[in-house]
Amino acid sequence: MISRRNFLTTVALGTASAAALAACGQSAPAQTGSAQNPVTINYTWWGNDDRATRTRKAIELFESKNPDIKVNGNFTDFAGYWQKRATEAAGGGLPDVMQWDLSYLRDYGQRNQLLDLSTVKIDTSGFDKSLLPSGQIKGKTYGIPTSTNAFAVYYDPAKLKTLGVSEPDGSWTYDEYKSWLKEVGAKGNGTFFGSTDFTGIWWQFNIWLRQKNIEAFTEDGKLGFSKDDLKTWWNMASDLRGTPALVSEERTTQLAPKSPFGSNVTVAENTWDNFMAGYLADSGAKELKIVPVPSDDPDNLGLFLKPSMLMVASAKTKFKDASARFIDFMINDPEVGQIFKTSRGVPASKKQRDGTTFEGTDKIVVDYEKSIEKYLKDAPEPPIVGFGTLEASFKRISSDLNFGKLTVDSAADAWFKEAEDLIKQNA
Amino acid sequence: MTQSPTLSRRSTSSTPPLPRKSRQRGADARAGYTFLLPWLLGFIALTVGPMISSLYLSFTNYNLFEPPKWIGLDNYTTLFQDERFLQSVGVTLSYVVFGTPLKLAAALAVAMLLNSKRKGQGFYRSAFYAPSLIGASVSIAIVWKAMFGDAGPVDQGLSFFGINLGGWVGNPSMTMPMMILLTVWQFGAPMVIFLAGLKQIPADLYEAASMDGAGPVRKFFNITWPMLSPVIFFNLLMETIHAFQIFASAYIISNGEGGPAGSTLFYTLYLYLRGFSDFRMGYASAMAWLLVIVVGIITLIFFKTSKSWVHYSGDSK
Repeated sequence: MISRRNFLTTVALGTASAAALAACGQSAPAQTGSAQNPVTINYTWWGNDDRATRTRKAIELFESKNPDIKVNGNFTDFAGYWQKRATEAAGGGLPDVMQWDLSYLRDYGQRNQLLDLSTVKIDTSGFDKSLLPSGQIKGKTYGIPTSTNAFAVYYDPAKLKTLGVSEPDGSWTYDEYKSWLKEVGAKGNGTFFGSTDFTGIWWQFNIWLRQKNIEAFTEDGKLGFSKDDLKTWWNMASDLRGTPALVSEERTTQLAPKSPFGSNVTVAENTWDNFMAGYLADSGAKELKIVPVPSDDPDNLGLFLKPSMLMVASAKTKFKDASARFIDFMINDPEVGQIFKTSRGVPASKKQRDGTTFEGTDKIVVDYEKSIEKYLKDAPEPPIVGFGTLEASFKRISSDLNFGKLTVDSAADAWFKEAEDLIKQNA
Repeated sequence: MTQSPTLSRRSTSSTPPLPRKSRQRGADARAGYTFLLPWLLGFIALTVGPMISSLYLSFTNYNLFEPPKWIGLDNYTTLFQDERFLQSVGVTLSYVVFGTPLKLAAALAVAMLLNSKRKGQGFYRSAFYAPSLIGASVSIAIVWKAMFGDAGPVDQGLSFFGINLGGWVGNPSMTMPMMILLTVWQFGAPMVIFLAGLKQIPADLYEAASMDGAGPVRKFFNITWPMLSPVIFFNLLMETIHAFQIFASAYIISNGEGGPAGSTLFYTLYLYLRGFSDFRMGYASAMAWLLVIVVGIITLIFFKTSKSWVHYSGDSK
């Protein structure tokens, strides 16, 4: 039983501490900090444990070099990341600095949620001139790329050896690629599958379109491909679905958020070349290799360098200066390059790239980007507003396709209906 | 009679309030309102305000960042052409229809077991109630996901008995049974209420029934059920409303996507995805209001039909 006296003491203490907290809050809006009284900025990113460890190291390094700033770091996986940001944006409380994806740059930049980074001091002298525009919309710089990545087919040479399947050299047509997957599946005998359904990946579809010289989006924000294109694409894997060439959607769902490749269930996977470090950490494999994606036109691989991720700041941040210093540090500092190596992609800033030594698997990634240099085309047309939603529904609908809930025709109808609805909404 | 708790009030020790002067009454009212004020302010600012603004937004196209655009009833009409919306309605209804009665049956059965005097009764009561305390927490959904996952304890346990279902989490036809099991397992809250209700049933009714030769089944249907009917009604209503609002466990188990193949796309999860993934806050608001209306109608139907089967002790008046 709480006595009256105790009760009053508790209330008094509570009130006092609330007042103390409020006082702390009032001192926060100061623009700059000092070593004795540092300012705290929030930084958030998506990724796995490997990236979290590396990011924490980079943050510690930043704090030791900038004692007047503290960085409060926080991360989630990719899917949950964007729902969180939307909630925060609606409440006006986006973190000061964020790791960002090209897919969502328009949604937030065009709607005045992101800080124009050309108004603060960030050194972009070491950047390739053709790369910076990908972070810009209508003359404002909303994001600065940390690094570049290119699409590739990953495979695990050790697993191929045990199965007795030969390693691919990366000059292959879709038919050759498919029969390779079938061979892996047949010899894998239920222990190893070929790959995850490559037709469920938006960017792989986008690359295939470019191989046929079709642009995914037109300049006026409409779809540049037809429903038949999409049907052809999804039909490409029709004879593989439900066979050991592709891992079942049930397994994929169970393994999430890890990928089947990272979980040692498949021998190959199509994705961005900067996933190397994450896959190595997830799977525990000694070595993974990457080769170019298949193409029916050997002179046009449809490949391009994409900013693998960007650094952005909230338009509402109270600490513009501290945020800018943190972004500058993350993109330019050679020691940060040494921490991340190629796990964010190949560093975009020359300063950082030159200051980083690439060995072993990191060298594989750098060498891969060099090897495809002659095939590289311009970065893709800037995705439309709401592209993140379209990319997610592409994944969802192709997953329904794999579950056998939809036919290729009805899947294409469903995606087009959603895409047209979305384009109309944002018009 | 002396041992059984009685329904009658304790001796009326409090005397009826004396008539006071109106000035005093006014002061009392002011004091009352003053004490009420913090709650009232919170209620207006945090419940009524957002509800009104959400009602307004449900008639608009609102993407969180730009000012809402008035579009009339468009959100409500497009809802019914949206296949994912219809799917979410189906998923939620099957959860409510199968999950709620099972949960209440489990709650009532365990409450009846715990009603009799036994050794260690307190322990059993807390043990059965514990899952409900941590029920809505994220951690339980994560544990559940791991248990029913590929090669998880459930899969292993079943295969020991020669049943090979594989993991439930990735199988669209097994996720609903899994979600229903999860809610049934969290029967603690209705159980406690049932237990309180059972304690109110006079023991002499059972004694008299035994004298007349009634078996346990007969006792249940002729004494327990009618005497408990107001409590059953209360639990049924609360659990139904509660089931319509399932969100956290579905969100965790499906990685926030409502998968596999939309099998856990519950109404509120789709609402959330529409609002915060697709930036369609007007659409989400329309969904929210539709839910309010539907739950309201169901509650009304419950109350109307309850007259035929719920018996209150004061009915004879």
